[in-house]
Amino acid sequence: MYPIIVFSVSGLLMLFLGLSVNKKSLLPYNLLFMLVGLASNFLDWNAPGLYFNGMLEISNPIILVQWVLIFAAILVSGISSRQFDDTHAYPAEYYAIMQFALVGALIMVSFQNLLMLFVGLEILSVGLYVLTGSDKRNLRGNEAAIKYFLMGSFATGIFLFGVAMFYGATGSFDISSGNSVANNLLEGKMFFWLGMVFIFIGLLFKISAAPFHFWTADVYQGAPTVFSAFMATIVKTAVIFALFRLAAYSFNLEYENWSKFLVIIIGLSMVIGNVTAVFQTNFKRVLAFSSISQAGFMLLSLIGLGAQSYGNLGFYSLSYALATISAFGVFLVISSNTIVEGRPSENINVFDGLFSRNPDLAIILLISMLSLAGIPLTSGFWSKFFVLNDAAAKGYFWILILGVLMSAVSLYYYFNPIRASFKKTDLGKIEISSLSKYTLYVCAALTILFGIAPNILRSLF
Amino acid sequence: MTFIALIPLFPLIGFLINGLGYGKISKTAVPWIGTGASLLSFVCVLLAYLNFKETAIIVNLFDWISIAGLNVGFSFQLDQLSIIMLFVITGVGTLIHLYSAGYMSHDEGYGKFFAYLNLFLFSMILLVLGGNYLMMFIGWEGVGLCSYLLIGFWNKNTDYANAARKAFIMNRIGDVGFLIGIFLILQNFGTLEYLEVFEKAKAFHVGDGIIVAITMALFVGAMGKSAQIPLFTWLPDAMAGPTPVSALIHAATMVTSGIYMIVRSNVLYTLSPFTLEFIAWIGLATALLGATIGLFQNDIKKVLAYSTVSQLGYMFLGLGVMAYSSGLFHVITHAFFKALLFLGAGSVIHAMSDDQDIRNMGGLWSKIKITAITFLVGTIAISGIPPFSGFFSKDEILAHVFEHNKIMWALGMLGSFMTAFYMFRLFFVTFKGSFRGTEEQKHHLHESPKSMTTPLIVLAVLSAIGGFIGFPEVFHLPHRLNEFLSPIFENSRLVNSSFGVVHISHNLELILMGASVLVAVISILFAYMVFGNGKNVPVADSEVVGLKKLVYNKYYIDELYNKVFVGPISAISFFFANVIDKKLIDKIVNSVGEGVNFSSKKIKELQVGVTGSYILFMTLGILLLVLYQFGPSLLSTFNLLQNK
Amino acid sequence: MHFLEIIKNLSLVQWAFYFLSILTLYGALGTILSKNPIHSVIYLVVTFFSISGIYIMLNAQFLAAVNVIVYAGAIMVLFLFVLMFLNLKEESTEMKTSPMLIAAVSTGLLLGLILIATIRKAEITRVNYNDFDPNTGLIETLGMVLYKNYMLPFELVSVLFLVAMSGAILLGKREKGESHF
Repeated sequence: MYPIIVFSVSGLLMLFLGLSVNKKSLLPYNLLFMLVGLASNFLDWNAPGLYFNGMLEISNPIILVQWVLIFAAILVSGISSRQFDDTHAYPAEYYAIMQFALVGALIMVSFQNLLMLFVGLEILSVGLYVLTGSDKRNLRGNEAAIKYFLMGSFATGIFLFGVAMFYGATGSFDISSGNSVANNLLEGKMFFWLGMVFIFIGLLFKISAAPFHFWTADVYQGAPTVFSAFMATIVKTAVIFALFRLAAYSFNLEYENWSKFLVIIIGLSMVIGNVTAVFQTNFKRVLAFSSISQAGFMLLSLIGLGAQSYGNLGFYSLSYALATISAFGVFLVISSNTIVEGRPSENINVFDGLFSRNPDLAIILLISMLSLAGIPLTSGFWSKFFVLNDAAAKGYFWILILGVLMSAVSLYYYFNPIRASFKKTDLGKIEISSLSKYTLYVCAALTILFGIAPNILRSLF
Repeated sequence: MTFIALIPLFPLIGFLINGLGYGKISKTAVPWIGTGASLLSFVCVLLAYLNFKETAIIVNLFDWISIAGLNVGFSFQLDQLSIIMLFVITGVGTLIHLYSAGYMSHDEGYGKFFAYLNLFLFSMILLVLGGNYLMMFIGWEGVGLCSYLLIGFWNKNTDYANAARKAFIMNRIGDVGFLIGIFLILQNFGTLEYLEVFEKAKAFHVGDGIIVAITMALFVGAMGKSAQIPLFTWLPDAMAGPTPVSALIHAATMVTSGIYMIVRSNVLYTLSPFTLEFIAWIGLATALLGATIGLFQNDIKKVLAYSTVSQLGYMFLGLGVMAYSSGLFHVITHAFFKALLFLGAGSVIHAMSDDQDIRNMGGLWSKIKITAITFLVGTIAISGIPPFSGFFSKDEILAHVFEHNKIMWALGMLGSFMTAFYMFRLFFVTFKGSFRGTEEQKHHLHESPKSMTTPLIVLAVLSAIGGFIGFPEVFHLPHRLNEFLSPIFENSRLVNSSFGVVHISHNLELILMGASVLVAVISILFAYMVFGNGKNVPVADSEVVGLKKLVYNKYYIDELYNKVFVGPISAISFFFANVIDKKLIDKIVNSVGEGVNFSSKKIKELQVGVTGSYILFMTLGILLLVLYQFGPSLLSTFNLLQNK
Repeated sequence: MHFLEIIKNLSLVQWAFYFLSILTLYGALGTILSKNPIHSVIYLVVTFFSISGIYIMLNAQFLAAVNVIVYAGAIMVLFLFVLMFLNLKEESTEMKTSPMLIAAVSTGLLLGLILIATIRKAEITRVNYNDFDPNTGLIETLGMVLYKNYMLPFELVSVLFLVAMSGAILLGKREKGESHF
């Protein structure tokens, strides 16, 4: 709960700093605020309970997830170094909005009241609509922002509709009241069920699960790369945990009911995400489709819904964030070094010869791709192993087979950048700012560390 | 105890030094580090073996994962089985490292190559030394990755890269089975540690459904890794990699990990006769298929590759009739002679200035004597002529098969007839007759350096005498391998009374032996009659006709797979990417490109149109979901209304 | 005949409700069907007013007032201003019977049908008139709930507004330089 306060205030401060401080020193301030937020979370440690009249729940597992969110935001800020140096960028506003969005994300993983969830969701979404269109000269970005806004509002509407029905059925916004209708007869539950399905759909849209994924590729491609990374990691983590809270606290007695449509959504996400990614030539679109399929995998832990699922999901979120941020980070550095027709190239061939241009980046890219594909000794393997084990525990073997098969398909496109990076080339070396370099090192090192000794992270949850 | 942890450590260190220091370490130091790491590892295995007493040693380095319902340790298990495998891996591995020092010396990625080789060795050691199924899987994936890296090592042309990717993806398909097997074990036994799983398995009855499911799933993994029907087509393609890689990974070690896995899980397999029967038939079919294709191949490495596929089939045939130790015996001898043959082929290719087509060779006997003689030893060994090693192991398998099923035995004999034929065909065409290559190649012909011939000689000696670790019972000489391995099969004996009981009389055994030697000799004579004079050379590709053409083109299996699997999948993917995804996008791209100032009415419509269609799709999704969810209960409402 | 009987027996409250509902729907349809954007806005005002009427019937006077002031007043005026500034001369959207439109309408109708069917099936607990607190929708009660129970979300909404505001300013700033794609 403290980081919520910290980021609300620091966002404002950031806006003011934009007036007085020069552009380049804004990033250190941003990192400082984020570290303060990270540290302030310690104050909540071992103080579980409901706060503010049952609006927020604080417990150690929740704090861990909040750490994951803040840590991912720090990493995203890290790779943003030097990206906002030119005159058309407004880093103060960007960072302020990022911090506000983080407030929304933090609320979404700890809400106890659907009203809080709605407020958190809106803070996060509105922030991202703006960030998507923040590069105003980029017409594709404008396009993406409008599209994201329109479709996001549509999804929010559906979500709200669901919340209203939830309220109608239970007479309360408290998430635990979902259980109060458990004993009602079929007729009495109809309202509740409809509300449940609509709430699910609204949130599934936000994590871009198929068939509600249509916006994803356009928006990832149009948004400035830093914010695509933000979207891929923080938004996804926040929303999946919001879904998990709802599944575990409001709808757990209806498991039979929602799990049967959720598995279909998972299957669709895996198939559409992976299969569509194969022929993409734009790297950001590849990552967008990869994020769709990863959303499918993450949702498996909802299907599992056992004592271990929360921790499994936490592990998945962090390892996915590490791999995705390092992929975006490496791509960001290279693409801003490869200007085609006046703007950074996003084609997958920017990776050509990366190994000879900057071996460190090539290795980081390799680790990140291996982790996304779920190859052992990277954390990505364990995260997939955990969630698949969850699904197996519930006896959903067909989705397990599909999941493993689709991860075999995913190798096809995850290996493309790797292959490209080992090509021979005579292009010059790539320079990289030391902050993003160290950020990427941290991502890669943690990916390997959690791959070799997953227990370090997993036993925390 | 400490030696055990050191075994995988040395290759890892070697990998880190050569990998991180790539480009910085001098070219003379690279092979020393790589080969040294492998040799030290071998020494550790030796020391561990000398300190080994009967019972399995478990070394738990740290808890890998320990949450409720899932406890897996990063543990090593040293027992008879892992010792044997380790000897093969580190021993043959060291020789191949040494060979590579000479073979790869002109390559610019020298350091990278040794780093990969060491990484492979590390993964392979994890695979066989791991104390639970997850460790095995880590090694399993690790060797797959190294194989990918090494096949695509010369990523100069896309064919090589595609071969590498094909290998990796086919392996991954097999891994689907393996992973599912692991999940099944975890769900049904609650643990993945070998000893606990096998202990609990004893409570099951023979033919239990769960055990059948587990063993079948695991076997799918073995099919992928050990190139069995239908997942075998990657192995011949994998020959795109450097020859030492083919020798180490695609002949001696990695491809045999499927056999290792089954021998390791022998209790489970013994409990499931259905799976065993399935394995036997798959193995037999693969053995015959590989052998027939091998008959007409003209690429020296392709012949050996199909021969490997076929020999792996024999090993599975052995496992399928519960002759686990015979299967493992063949793994060992095969590692010797097939590594020898591949390295010999490498030496030939080296001499031929990187030409692999045997139609351009001929008469090399006098030019590269050491290579030729060692190659002959390998050829005799694989053909099953006593007292060379291949005879003992293959004969043991066939004897067990005879006891199990006479038809299988007959087919197996047919396969071994073909084996001897295509191997001697290869030998005669390559080494006999007169040279058919270009003048330039002829001028360049030379024997390989010492670092390459030494491993050849060592392997030739091993191929010749390696069979003596397991004499047939009839000779009243000790079968050391069986005695040594006996504790591994303790549980199998307990769960299935029919395990390990031999009914064959000594006379019959002698007759069988004689028969197989006779078959081999006839086959060799036949090959000599056709190719011995060195004049009868395989014809050019275009002149191959009829049935022969079918076999020559590998029964068009690759083409079939492309049609049936790859084609539809890429078509779907293409549809998703280019029709659903791109068409819509291109529309906007083009229209925005036309009028950047946003004034055009058309753009506005299009933009709204696309967003609208996205929303339409989503609404459809919602509609279908709600229908799916509430359809049945809504239908009853509808009926209610009608009744009113 | 049955139908007429029902109409005859409607109470005054029911009359008011049906009138307002029909007006709301009329306004909503007018908003999306009229070709002139200014007409659309006016129709929307009608919708908001009639919804406010329904709020009053639900004993939510404060909400009704706020709805009129904020939506019908402020936001609609803003819309009108924007439309007049843009000075749209030509009819921007023509109604075409494209397959898209048919698909959209039919999907929407189908979804609506299903929802109606589902809600019909649902059992709704009715409010008991006798123990209903007449102060429920009044500003005092609302204030107590907002500032006591829902204090946190109420405060956090300010963060939402802040994001929206700074975002609007960020996007609204005129950008020099070339646009690119």
